Amino acid sequence: MSLLSALARGAEIPVFPAIGTQGLALVESLRSRPGIRLVDTPRHARVLLVAGELDSQHLRSLERLHAQLPAPRGTVWWQASPLFSHGPRVPDDDPLAAIRQAAQADEPVLRPDLPPHPWQGIGPHGQGGKGMMGGTPYGRPMAMTADDIRDGLALDAYTACFGPFLPMLPPGLVLELTLQGDVIVSAQMASPPFEQGPPGDAPNLCAARMLRLMGIDIGIDIDIGSPRARSRGALLALPAGSGMRRRLAKWLRGDHVTEDPAPVSEALPGLEWTEAVLWLASFAPARLRAVCTKEAVT
Amino acid sequence: MNQIAMPIIFALLAVGLAVALQRVGLRADASWPARAPFLGGGTAQTHAWQRFHVRYYPMTLLFIAFEMEMMFMYPWAVVYVETGFVALAEMGMFLGILSVGILYGWREGVFRWQ
Repeated sequence: MSLLSALARGAEIPVFPAIGTQGLALVESLRSRPGIRLVDTPRHARVLLVAGELDSQHLRSLERLHAQLPAPRGTVWWQASPLFSHGPRVPDDDPLAAIRQAAQADEPVLRPDLPPHPWQGIGPHGQGGKGMMGGTPYGRPMAMTADDIRDGLALDAYTACFGPFLPMLPPGLVLELTLQGDVIVSAQMASPPFEQGPPGDAPNLCAARMLRLMGIDIGIDIDIGSPRARSRGALLALPAGSGMRRRLAKWLRGDHVTEDPAPVSEALPGLEWTEAVLWLASFAPARLRAVCTKEAVT
Repeated sequence: MNQIAMPIIFALLAVGLAVALQRVGLRADASWPARAPFLGGGTAQTHAWQRFHVRYYPMTLLFIAFEMEMMFMYPWAVVYVETGFVALAEMGMFLGILSVGILYGWREGVFRWQ
Protein backbone atom coordinates (compact mmCIF):
# COMPACT_ATOMS: atom_id res chain seq x y z
CA MET A 1 0.00 0.00 0.00
CA SER A 2 1.41 3.37 -0.97
CA LEU A 3 1.64 6.27 1.43
CA LEU A 4 -1.03 8.11 -0.55
CA SER A 5 -3.60 5.31 -0.29
CA ALA A 6 -2.76 4.89 3.41
CA LEU A 7 -3.50 8.58 3.96
CA ALA A 8 -6.65 8.31 1.83
CA ARG A 9 -7.92 5.42 3.97
CA GLY A 10 -7.87 7.63 7.05
CA ALA A 11 -9.83 10.44 5.38
CA GLU A 12 -13.49 11.05 6.04
CA ILE A 13 -15.82 9.47 3.50
CA PRO A 14 -18.24 12.02 2.02
CA VAL A 15 -21.72 10.48 2.04
CA PHE A 16 -24.90 11.79 0.41
CA PRO A 17 -27.98 10.53 2.26
CA ALA A 18 -31.14 9.71 0.29
CA ILE A 19 -33.71 9.49 3.07
CA GLY A 20 -36.69 7.16 2.77
CA THR A 21 -39.44 6.01 5.14
CA GLN A 22 -38.30 6.14 8.80
CA GLY A 23 -34.84 7.26 7.65
CA LEU A 24 -34.66 10.83 8.99
CA ALA A 25 -33.75 9.96 12.58
CA LEU A 26 -31.30 7.30 11.34
CA VAL A 27 -29.39 9.83 9.23
CA GLU A 28 -29.43 12.47 11.97
CA SER A 29 -27.78 9.95 14.31
CA LEU A 30 -24.91 9.62 11.79
CA ARG A 31 -23.96 13.31 11.81
CA SER A 32 -21.67 13.08 14.81
CA ARG A 33 -20.01 9.80 13.71
CA PRO A 34 -16.29 10.10 13.00
CA GLY A 35 -15.02 8.68 9.69
CA ILE A 36 -17.87 9.95 7.53
CA ARG A 37 -19.12 13.37 6.52
CA LEU A 38 -22.68 13.96 5.33
CA VAL A 39 -22.66 16.26 2.29
CA ASP A 40 -25.45 18.27 0.72
CA THR A 41 -24.97 17.39 -2.94
CA PRO A 42 -24.14 14.13 -4.75
CA ARG A 43 -21.35 15.98 -6.57
CA HIS A 44 -19.34 16.07 -3.33
CA ALA A 45 -20.11 12.50 -2.30
CA ARG A 46 -18.28 9.19 -2.66
CA VAL A 47 -21.07 7.01 -1.31
CA LEU A 48 -24.86 7.19 -1.78
CA LEU A 49 -26.53 6.12 1.46
CA VAL A 50 -30.16 5.09 1.02
CA ALA A 51 -31.61 5.21 4.53
CA GLY A 52 -35.09 3.79 4.97
CA GLU A 53 -37.49 1.97 2.65
CA LEU A 54 -38.30 3.41 -0.79
CA ASP A 55 -40.87 2.12 -3.23
CA SER A 56 -40.11 1.47 -6.88
CA GLN A 57 -41.76 4.72 -8.06
CA HIS A 58 -38.69 6.55 -6.73
CA LEU A 59 -36.27 4.33 -8.64
CA ARG A 60 -35.87 6.84 -11.48
CA SER A 61 -35.07 9.72 -9.09
CA LEU A 62 -32.59 7.55 -7.21
CA GLU A 63 -30.87 6.51 -10.43
CA ARG A 64 -30.53 10.18 -11.45
CA LEU A 65 -28.98 10.93 -8.08
CA HIS A 66 -26.66 7.91 -8.37
CA ALA A 67 -25.50 9.13 -11.79
CA GLN A 68 -24.68 12.55 -10.34
CA LEU A 69 -22.10 11.11 -7.95
CA PRO A 70 -18.69 11.46 -9.61
CA ALA A 71 -16.96 8.16 -10.46
CA PRO A 72 -15.97 6.02 -8.60
CA ARG A 73 -19.24 5.78 -6.69
CA GLY A 74 -20.78 3.28 -4.26
CA THR A 75 -24.21 2.67 -2.73
CA VAL A 76 -25.32 1.44 0.72
CA TRP A 77 -28.89 0.31 1.47
CA TRP A 78 -29.45 1.00 5.15
CA GLN A 79 -32.65 -0.58 6.48
CA ALA A 80 -33.90 -0.47 2.89
CA SER A 81 -34.67 -3.08 0.23
CA PRO A 82 -32.31 -2.51 -2.71
CA LEU A 83 -33.97 -1.03 -5.78
CA PHE A 84 -30.96 -1.86 -7.96
CA SER A 85 -28.40 -4.61 -7.69
CA HIS A 86 -25.35 -2.61 -6.60
CA GLY A 87 -24.12 -1.99 -3.07
CA PRO A 88 -24.31 -3.83 0.27
CA ARG A 89 -27.45 -4.02 2.38
CA VAL A 90 -27.35 -3.10 6.09
CA PRO A 91 -30.32 -4.37 8.13
CA ASP A 92 -28.94 -3.30 11.54
CA ASP A 93 -28.17 0.07 13.18
CA ASP A 94 -24.57 0.67 12.11
CA PRO A 95 -23.81 1.30 8.43
CA LEU A 96 -20.19 2.43 8.92
CA ALA A 97 -18.54 -0.85 7.86
CA ALA A 98 -20.76 -1.03 4.78
CA ILE A 99 -19.97 2.61 3.91
CA ARG A 100 -16.25 1.80 4.10
CA GLN A 101 -16.87 -1.21 1.85
CA ALA A 102 -18.89 0.90 -0.61
CA ALA A 103 -16.10 3.51 -0.68
CA GLN A 104 -13.95 0.88 -2.44
CA ALA A 105 -16.63 0.16 -5.06
CA ASP A 106 -16.91 1.52 -8.58
CA GLU A 107 -20.50 1.21 -9.76
CA PRO A 108 -21.52 2.01 -13.36
CA VAL A 109 -23.96 4.83 -14.23
CA LEU A 110 -27.48 3.40 -14.30
CA ARG A 111 -29.00 6.05 -16.58
CA PRO A 112 -28.27 6.04 -20.32
CA ASP A 113 -25.67 8.60 -21.36
CA LEU A 114 -28.14 10.57 -23.48
CA PRO A 115 -29.19 14.24 -23.29
CA PRO A 116 -32.52 14.78 -21.49
CA HIS A 117 -34.09 15.77 -24.81
CA PRO A 118 -32.88 14.80 -28.29
CA TRP A 119 -31.26 17.83 -29.91
CA GLN A 120 -28.33 16.84 -32.10
CA GLY A 121 -28.89 17.71 -35.74
CA ILE A 122 -32.29 19.36 -35.09
CA GLY A 123 -32.80 22.98 -36.15
CA PRO A 124 -31.09 25.20 -38.73
CA HIS A 125 -27.68 25.00 -36.99
CA GLY A 126 -28.16 21.63 -35.32
CA GLN A 127 -28.61 23.28 -31.93
CA GLY A 128 -31.87 21.54 -31.08
CA GLY A 129 -34.48 24.02 -32.24
CA LYS A 130 -35.01 27.42 -33.75
CA GLY A 131 -33.47 30.58 -32.32
CA MET A 132 -32.32 31.28 -28.78
CA MET A 133 -34.88 33.39 -26.88
CA GLY A 134 -38.10 31.42 -27.07
CA GLY A 135 -36.29 28.66 -28.93
CA THR A 136 -35.19 25.22 -27.82
CA PRO A 137 -31.37 25.01 -27.64
CA TYR A 138 -30.25 21.47 -26.69
CA GLY A 139 -33.85 20.37 -27.24
CA ARG A 140 -35.08 22.06 -24.06
CA PRO A 141 -37.14 25.27 -24.14
CA MET A 142 -35.74 28.50 -22.76
CA ALA A 143 -37.41 30.06 -19.73
CA MET A 144 -39.69 32.86 -20.94
CA THR A 145 -41.05 35.97 -19.25
CA ALA A 146 -44.17 35.83 -17.12
CA ASP A 147 -45.96 38.36 -14.92
CA ASP A 148 -44.21 39.04 -11.62
CA ILE A 149 -46.28 38.73 -8.47
CA ARG A 150 -44.07 40.97 -6.36
CA ASP A 151 -43.16 44.24 -8.04
CA GLY A 152 -44.51 44.00 -11.56
CA LEU A 153 -41.18 43.54 -13.33
CA ALA A 154 -41.72 40.77 -15.90
CA LEU A 155 -39.00 38.13 -15.50
CA ASP A 156 -38.29 34.60 -16.74
CA ALA A 157 -40.24 31.84 -15.01
CA TYR A 158 -38.30 28.63 -14.26
CA THR A 159 -40.38 25.49 -13.71
CA ALA A 160 -38.85 22.35 -12.23
CA CYS A 161 -39.59 19.37 -9.99
CA PHE A 162 -37.71 19.64 -6.68
CA GLY A 163 -37.24 16.51 -4.57
CA PRO A 164 -37.74 13.83 -3.32
CA PHE A 165 -34.10 13.73 -2.12
CA LEU A 166 -33.27 17.45 -1.96
CA PRO A 167 -31.54 17.89 1.43
CA MET A 168 -33.27 21.19 2.30
CA LEU A 169 -36.78 19.82 1.73
CA PRO A 170 -38.51 17.26 3.98
CA PRO A 171 -37.50 13.80 2.64
CA GLY A 172 -39.89 12.48 0.02
CA LEU A 173 -41.63 15.78 -0.69
CA VAL A 174 -41.74 16.50 -4.43
CA LEU A 175 -42.74 20.03 -5.35
CA GLU A 176 -43.33 21.34 -8.83
CA LEU A 177 -42.34 24.95 -8.43
CA THR A 178 -42.31 27.89 -10.79
CA LEU A 179 -39.69 30.39 -9.69
CA GLN A 180 -38.84 33.90 -10.81
CA GLY A 181 -35.36 34.39 -9.45
CA ASP A 182 -35.74 33.21 -5.86
CA VAL A 183 -39.45 34.03 -5.57
CA ILE A 184 -41.91 31.13 -5.78
CA VAL A 185 -44.71 32.06 -8.19
CA SER A 186 -46.66 28.83 -8.08
CA ALA A 187 -46.34 25.55 -6.19
CA GLN A 188 -47.85 22.13 -6.80
CA MET A 189 -47.33 19.18 -4.49
CA ALA A 190 -46.47 16.15 -6.63
CA SER A 191 -45.75 13.67 -3.83
CA PRO A 192 -46.09 13.93 0.00
CA PRO A 193 -43.14 13.47 2.40
CA PHE A 194 -42.27 9.98 3.63
CA GLU A 195 -43.54 8.63 6.94
CA GLN A 196 -40.91 9.30 9.64
CA GLY A 197 -42.73 7.99 12.72
CA PRO A 198 -42.40 9.43 16.25
CA PRO A 199 -38.53 9.64 16.18
CA GLY A 200 -38.81 12.10 13.25
CA ASP A 201 -40.91 14.49 15.36
CA ALA A 202 -38.43 14.67 18.27
CA PRO A 203 -37.96 18.36 19.27
CA ASN A 204 -34.14 18.23 19.36
CA LEU A 205 -34.02 16.68 15.88
CA CYS A 206 -36.48 19.19 14.41
CA ALA A 207 -34.69 22.15 16.04
CA ALA A 208 -31.27 20.97 14.85
CA ARG A 209 -32.60 20.49 11.32
CA MET A 210 -34.08 23.99 11.22
CA LEU A 211 -30.96 25.61 12.72
CA ARG A 212 -28.80 23.76 10.20
CA LEU A 213 -30.87 25.23 7.36
CA MET A 214 -30.02 28.65 8.83
CA GLY A 215 -26.32 27.79 8.83
CA ILE A 216 -26.04 26.98 12.55
CA ASP A 217 -24.82 23.40 12.88
CA ILE A 218 -25.04 22.34 16.51
CA GLY A 219 -25.91 18.65 16.10
CA ILE A 220 -28.91 16.76 17.45
CA ASP A 221 -27.51 15.99 20.87
CA ILE A 222 -28.10 19.63 21.78
CA ASP A 223 -28.64 20.10 25.43
CA ILE A 224 -31.83 22.16 25.14
CA GLY A 225 -30.51 24.79 27.58
CA SER A 226 -26.97 25.36 26.36
CA PRO A 227 -27.21 26.75 22.81
CA ARG A 228 -29.55 29.49 24.00
CA ALA A 229 -27.28 32.37 23.06
CA ARG A 230 -26.85 31.20 19.49
CA SER A 231 -30.40 30.10 18.92
CA ARG A 232 -31.76 33.41 20.22
CA GLY A 233 -30.02 35.04 17.28
CA ALA A 234 -31.59 32.40 15.05
CA LEU A 235 -35.06 33.28 16.37
CA LEU A 236 -34.56 36.94 15.48
CA ALA A 237 -33.33 36.00 12.00
CA LEU A 238 -36.62 34.26 11.19
CA PRO A 239 -39.26 36.48 9.58
CA ALA A 240 -41.80 37.78 12.08
CA GLY A 241 -45.46 36.95 11.68
CA SER A 242 -44.94 33.59 9.95
CA GLY A 243 -45.12 31.52 13.15
CA MET A 244 -41.64 30.11 12.49
CA ARG A 245 -40.16 31.86 15.55
CA ARG A 246 -42.87 30.47 17.79
CA ARG A 247 -42.40 26.91 16.52
CA LEU A 248 -38.59 26.94 16.71
CA ALA A 249 -38.76 28.40 20.24
CA LYS A 250 -41.11 25.59 21.21
CA TRP A 251 -38.71 22.96 19.91
CA LEU A 252 -35.79 24.63 21.69
CA ARG A 253 -37.75 24.42 24.95
CA GLY A 254 -38.15 20.67 24.30
CA ASP A 255 -41.87 20.78 23.46
CA HIS A 256 -43.61 19.19 20.47
CA VAL A 257 -45.04 21.41 17.73
CA THR A 258 -48.64 20.37 17.10
CA GLU A 259 -49.66 23.05 14.57
CA ASP A 260 -50.90 22.01 11.14
CA PRO A 261 -49.44 23.82 8.11
CA ALA A 262 -51.64 25.40 5.45
CA PRO A 263 -51.77 23.50 2.13
CA VAL A 264 -48.41 23.86 0.38
CA SER A 265 -49.89 25.10 -2.91
CA GLU A 266 -51.48 28.05 -1.07
CA ALA A 267 -48.72 28.84 1.43
CA LEU A 268 -45.62 28.82 -0.76
CA PRO A 269 -46.42 31.25 -3.62
CA GLY A 270 -44.99 34.67 -2.83
CA LEU A 271 -42.27 33.34 -0.51
CA GLU A 272 -38.58 33.41 -1.33
CA TRP A 273 -36.87 30.03 -1.66
CA THR A 274 -35.00 30.14 1.68
CA GLU A 275 -38.10 31.39 3.48
CA ALA A 276 -40.17 28.57 1.96
CA VAL A 277 -37.57 25.96 2.94
CA LEU A 278 -37.55 27.21 6.55
CA TRP A 279 -41.34 27.37 6.61
CA LEU A 280 -41.57 23.71 5.55
CA ALA A 281 -38.94 22.72 8.15
CA SER A 282 -40.80 24.56 10.91
CA PHE A 283 -43.56 21.93 11.07
CA ALA A 284 -43.30 18.46 12.57
CA PRO A 285 -42.74 15.91 9.72
CA ALA A 286 -45.83 13.91 10.73
CA ARG A 287 -48.08 17.01 10.60
CA LEU A 288 -46.68 18.14 7.23
CA ARG A 289 -47.15 14.63 5.84
CA ALA A 290 -50.76 14.50 7.02
CA VAL A 291 -51.62 17.82 5.36
CA CYS A 292 -49.74 16.96 2.13
CA THR A 293 -51.38 13.53 1.88
CA LYS A 294 -54.79 15.19 2.23
CA GLU A 295 -53.76 17.76 -0.42
CA ALA A 296 -52.66 14.97 -2.77
CA VAL A 297 -56.05 13.26 -2.50
CA THR A 298 -58.15 16.36 -3.18
CA MET B 1 14.72 43.89 -32.50
CA ASN B 2 13.35 43.68 -28.98
CA GLN B 3 10.43 45.88 -29.96
CA ILE B 4 9.34 43.39 -32.61
CA ALA B 5 10.13 40.19 -30.69
CA MET B 6 8.33 40.99 -27.43
CA PRO B 7 4.81 41.49 -28.88
CA ILE B 8 5.22 38.29 -30.92
CA ILE B 9 6.32 36.35 -27.82
CA PHE B 10 3.37 37.71 -25.83
CA ALA B 11 0.95 36.91 -28.64
CA LEU B 12 2.30 33.33 -28.80
CA LEU B 13 2.00 33.00 -25.00
CA ALA B 14 -1.59 34.25 -25.14
CA VAL B 15 -2.54 31.81 -27.91
CA GLY B 16 -0.75 28.97 -26.05
CA LEU B 17 -2.63 29.74 -22.85
CA ALA B 18 -5.97 29.90 -24.67
CA VAL B 19 -5.35 26.54 -26.38
CA ALA B 20 -4.21 24.97 -23.09
CA LEU B 21 -7.32 26.18 -21.26
CA GLN B 22 -9.52 24.86 -24.05
CA ARG B 23 -7.88 21.43 -23.79
CA VAL B 24 -8.40 21.40 -20.01
CA GLY B 25 -12.08 22.11 -20.66
CA LEU B 26 -12.35 19.27 -23.17
CA ARG B 27 -11.16 16.77 -20.57
CA ALA B 28 -14.31 17.27 -18.49
CA ASP B 29 -15.89 13.99 -19.60
CA ALA B 30 -19.05 14.18 -17.49
CA SER B 31 -21.93 12.08 -18.75
CA TRP B 32 -25.29 13.64 -19.65
CA PRO B 33 -27.02 12.54 -16.42
CA ALA B 34 -24.10 13.93 -14.38
CA ARG B 35 -24.39 17.29 -16.14
CA ALA B 36 -28.07 17.73 -15.23
CA PRO B 37 -28.85 20.31 -12.53
CA PHE B 38 -29.14 18.80 -9.04
CA LEU B 39 -32.79 18.94 -7.99
CA GLY B 40 -32.80 15.98 -5.59
CA GLY B 41 -33.90 13.51 -8.26
CA GLY B 42 -36.33 15.87 -10.02
CA THR B 43 -35.97 17.33 -13.49
CA ALA B 44 -36.26 20.81 -14.96
CA GLN B 45 -38.68 21.67 -17.76
CA THR B 46 -36.71 24.65 -19.06
CA HIS B 47 -33.10 25.78 -19.23
CA ALA B 48 -31.74 27.38 -16.09
CA TRP B 49 -30.44 30.22 -18.30
CA GLN B 50 -32.86 33.01 -17.39
CA ARG B 51 -33.24 36.67 -16.59
CA PHE B 52 -33.96 37.39 -12.96
CA HIS B 53 -34.17 40.46 -10.77
CA VAL B 54 -30.84 41.58 -9.33
CA ARG B 55 -32.45 42.82 -6.14
CA TYR B 56 -29.42 44.77 -4.95
CA TYR B 57 -29.14 46.95 -8.02
CA PRO B 58 -30.95 50.10 -6.69
CA MET B 59 -28.68 49.93 -3.63
CA THR B 60 -25.63 49.76 -5.90
CA LEU B 61 -26.90 52.77 -7.83
CA LEU B 62 -27.28 54.76 -4.63
CA PHE B 63 -23.82 53.75 -3.45
CA ILE B 64 -22.22 54.87 -6.71
CA ALA B 65 -24.16 58.17 -6.65
CA PHE B 66 -22.87 59.07 -3.18
CA GLU B 67 -19.39 57.64 -3.75
CA MET B 68 -18.86 59.63 -6.96
CA GLU B 69 -20.03 62.74 -5.14
CA MET B 70 -17.40 62.33 -2.43
CA MET B 71 -14.68 61.29 -4.88
CA PHE B 72 -14.89 64.63 -6.69
CA MET B 73 -15.67 66.77 -3.66
CA TYR B 74 -12.25 66.28 -2.05
CA PRO B 75 -10.16 67.68 -4.94
CA TRP B 76 -12.87 70.28 -5.55
CA ALA B 77 -12.55 71.50 -1.94
CA VAL B 78 -8.81 72.08 -2.53
CA VAL B 79 -9.29 74.34 -5.55
CA TYR B 80 -12.56 75.93 -4.44
CA VAL B 81 -11.00 78.90 -2.62
CA GLU B 82 -8.86 80.05 -5.55
CA THR B 83 -11.44 79.30 -8.30
CA GLY B 84 -14.46 80.68 -6.46
CA PHE B 85 -17.93 80.97 -7.94
CA VAL B 86 -17.17 79.01 -11.14
CA ALA B 87 -16.23 75.94 -9.06
CA LEU B 88 -19.41 76.31 -7.03
CA ALA B 89 -21.54 76.37 -10.20
CA GLU B 90 -19.71 73.37 -11.66
CA MET B 91 -20.18 71.36 -8.49
CA GLY B 92 -23.85 72.36 -8.46
CA MET B 93 -24.31 70.97 -11.97
CA PHE B 94 -22.47 67.79 -11.05
CA LEU B 95 -24.57 67.24 -7.93
CA GLY B 96 -27.70 68.00 -9.95
CA ILE B 97 -26.92 65.17 -12.37
CA LEU B 98 -26.12 62.76 -9.53
CA SER B 99 -29.28 63.67 -7.66
CA VAL B 100 -31.34 62.43 -10.62
CA GLY B 101 -29.92 58.99 -9.86
CA ILE B 102 -30.77 59.40 -6.17
CA LEU B 103 -34.32 60.47 -7.03
CA TYR B 104 -34.66 57.42 -9.30
CA GLY B 105 -33.42 55.19 -6.43
CA TRP B 106 -35.95 56.85 -4.14
CA ARG B 107 -38.73 55.98 -6.59
CA GLU B 108 -37.48 52.37 -6.72
CA GLY B 109 -37.87 52.17 -2.94
CA VAL B 110 -34.19 52.05 -2.00
CA PHE B 111 -34.72 54.11 1.15
CA ARG B 112 -37.41 51.74 2.40
CA TRP B 113 -36.12 49.50 5.18
CA GLN B 114 -36.80 45.83 4.39
